[in-house]
Amino acid sequence: MAEDLNWAVGGEAGDGIDSTGKIFAQALSRAGRHVFTSKDFASRIRGGYTAYKIRTSVDDVQSVVDRLDVLVALTQRTIDENLDELHEGSAVIYDGERSWEAEIPDEMTAVDVPLKSLAEEAGGAIMRNVVALGAACAIANFDVEYLDEALEKRFGGKGSKIVENNKAAARLGEEYVEENYDLDHLGYDLETTDNDYVLLNGNEAIGMGALAAGCRFYAGYPITPATTIMEYLTGRIEEYGGHVVQAEDELSAINMALGGARAGARSMTATSGAGIDLMTETFGLVATSETPMVICDVQRSGPSTGMPTKQEQGDLNMALYGGHGEVPRFVVAPTSITECFWKTIEAFNLAEKYQTPVFLISDLAMSVTEQTFPPEAFDMDAVEIDRGKLVDDDTVDEWLDEGGRFRAHAVTDDGVSPRAIPGTTDGAHMSTGLEHDELGRRTEDQDERVRQVDKRYRKVETAQEREDWEYREFGDPDADSLVISWGSNEGALVEALGYLEEDGIDVRVISVPYIFPRPDLTEEVEAADDVIVVECNATGQFADLIEHDTLTRVKRINKYTGVRFNADELAEEITDQLAAEVPAK
Amino acid sequence: MSSDVRFTDFKSDKQPTWCPGCGDFGTMNGMMKALAETGNDPDNTFVVAGIGCSGKIGTYMHSYALHGVHGRALPVGTGVKMARPDIEVMVAGGDGDGYSIGAGHFVHAVRRNVDMTYVVMDNRIYGLTKGQASPTSRSDFETSTTPEGPKQPPVNPLALALASGASFIAQSFASDALRHQEIVQQAIEHDGFGFVNVFSPCVTFNDVDTYDYFRDNLVDLEEAGHDPSDYEAAKGVILDSEKEYQGVMYQDENSVPYHEQHGVTENMSEIPDGAPEDAMDLVREFY
Repeated sequence: MAEDLNWAVGGEAGDGIDSTGKIFAQALSRAGRHVFTSKDFASRIRGGYTAYKIRTSVDDVQSVVDRLDVLVALTQRTIDENLDELHEGSAVIYDGERSWEAEIPDEMTAVDVPLKSLAEEAGGAIMRNVVALGAACAIANFDVEYLDEALEKRFGGKGSKIVENNKAAARLGEEYVEENYDLDHLGYDLETTDNDYVLLNGNEAIGMGALAAGCRFYAGYPITPATTIMEYLTGRIEEYGGHVVQAEDELSAINMALGGARAGARSMTATSGAGIDLMTETFGLVATSETPMVICDVQRSGPSTGMPTKQEQGDLNMALYGGHGEVPRFVVAPTSITECFWKTIEAFNLAEKYQTPVFLISDLAMSVTEQTFPPEAFDMDAVEIDRGKLVDDDTVDEWLDEGGRFRAHAVTDDGVSPRAIPGTTDGAHMSTGLEHDELGRRTEDQDERVRQVDKRYRKVETAQEREDWEYREFGDPDADSLVISWGSNEGALVEALGYLEEDGIDVRVISVPYIFPRPDLTEEVEAADDVIVVECNATGQFADLIEHDTLTRVKRINKYTGVRFNADELAEEITDQLAAEVPAK
Repeated sequence: MSSDVRFTDFKSDKQPTWCPGCGDFGTMNGMMKALAETGNDPDNTFVVAGIGCSGKIGTYMHSYALHGVHGRALPVGTGVKMARPDIEVMVAGGDGDGYSIGAGHFVHAVRRNVDMTYVVMDNRIYGLTKGQASPTSRSDFETSTTPEGPKQPPVNPLALALASGASFIAQSFASDALRHQEIVQQAIEHDGFGFVNVFSPCVTFNDVDTYDYFRDNLVDLEEAGHDPSDYEAAKGVILDSEKEYQGVMYQDENSVPYHEQHGVTENMSEIPDGAPEDAMDLVREFY
């Protein structure tokens, strides 16, 4: 793999860290470099340490590593928080004129740049972060002109004067470093390519997938880290005749989405675990009334309020089992940002084909990570829409009973009933959370009850037969060591393979995007000498499923610090686990 | 089919299990007649019901319908109407459904002013669970869970609606069939959220707020010459705890419903077979 550069900007929440990092990430992307970003942030509008980190290479990058090469530190805490990632070749940009005394270890290169003064020279102190970006360009031998397009994108709405001032600020930063420091010995030299990349995060990919899939109605209640899906759709969905409504709470949001879906719109809500708790009240109704709906859970650390701005994959069991009684649901967990897009589209198709709610499970790490992709990774021509057994005025007759009543819950061989939406002549029918007969009317008849329960579960059997529930595979398919993961750990695992290979360790990686229904991994597990399941939770919820499916004890790597896996860390953990005994439990 | 729709077309073939004499019979009949009278038919009508005796209404009526979870009927109706502005939406519930477990949604549905009708069958009691205090029960109303009465003032749903910025507030009496139908009809025709609180007596568990009580005490606002466009006059009757009123208390003649405020006019059920034509523009935004 080509040389990578790890860069970060950090400071207090409210210092504009996020937009500063985003500008640099965009500039790198425009220069034809791959980018993978991560954020350390707190749930506060102002105050508290926050950082935006970028890993960049001309090759594909899918993970962060425990190494920081260039750091823009707006506070001492930024330096302290990252000491273990800084190394002898690191450069730390700081403003020596500010009141704090920067304590930077001697072996590192301290680059004192009067950020505020130079920003004032360019037209305003507010541009000090952009001065720092210019300084970073000088250190990395990266042409400052690449910042221009990103600055235009960020500040274009504020007028050309502001844009020009920012461009000037960046150049002042660059010139200051070039004139006052000789940093060639650090050896940073960012190669550029002619490739065009788009830069987006997982939540944007989910939102874009929803639009591509024909989602027209979104109801939600703001919650970290799901809100950015709602914000993405707002202002865009209207272009396609849709609407986003901010509900008064999650109870309302899922019920609004339920109404939209009953009315025939592809409808969605997104929230995080705490919101799923509330939505669970209505989940059973959605499922038993056989309403197609996509419910997105962007997981964060729980339980209760937990660590709202931290990573976790702790909601798997809730998605699988949440709610009283028994009713099927599908659970899909995209494993990468591009998959956030494709799996969202698939979720809408599954929901309508099987008239079943679909949980789309993402997580905080994926929601805030911005990553570069060739635009073809989101090929809209490849998007397929399947609305399932939707009847119209011409076909509704086939599904009327002898009394001319629409059989909305008709018991069929494949378990899927016809679906009539309001406005369809003679399609009027009732749906309810009560157990019901084919017409949707309440029943407590024992035989009818069994027929309806069986019919609903038959949809799962049908889906298992008809759809591909395949896993994604990386590494050496013949390796004796098998590592299984679900959700967003895929990228770090794929990069970990490189480190493991350097150490002569061959590993087969299986990344599972389908939690229910899911691929049967019995053969794969039996073929391996060592099986390790990797996930960001304490108890190994997915590992439990694998053990249940395959009747084999597995090793587990669990991280529940609130921070995602890094590639190098994961390689070490895998090496350790391969040497360890399988726990007896 | 709308030109020759009769109100019986809105009736299902399920026999109601309400107690004989229940106010909900009259409430439902008036709703069906008002729907037919306003040119709707079962195939373009969506009825949402909550939980409680009132919640059974979706089963006894014939239309597109959803019988939802307790207290959340208004959000469901909101979703239906936003997705399908072409569909007539009527939400029905009881005082427990609307003013207790669903009170939060009531406030926000009122202020959102979605163009739908909300009929609350207010019997001032929990009937389906066999007689406990409801949010509109009198403070001295003795029930199995409040042996000495709730000892707290009843919710005034009309005042709650007014304080939430309602554009249409009305009250009717299930037994005054003609007036009830007229009032529901006005709520349907109103451009915005048409709210009707219906006195719908429970003959089994409430021996205080009876048919006789309402017959003896009800003041008809139309007969009294009340002007619903007069906000101050509306406030007066709504906050008057001494009397029981029927009629339209308040109607904002300049009401602009949600879909007009937000430009939500499309039938959202219609989508292309693939991604929208210009969808690659969405990708290019991320350059």
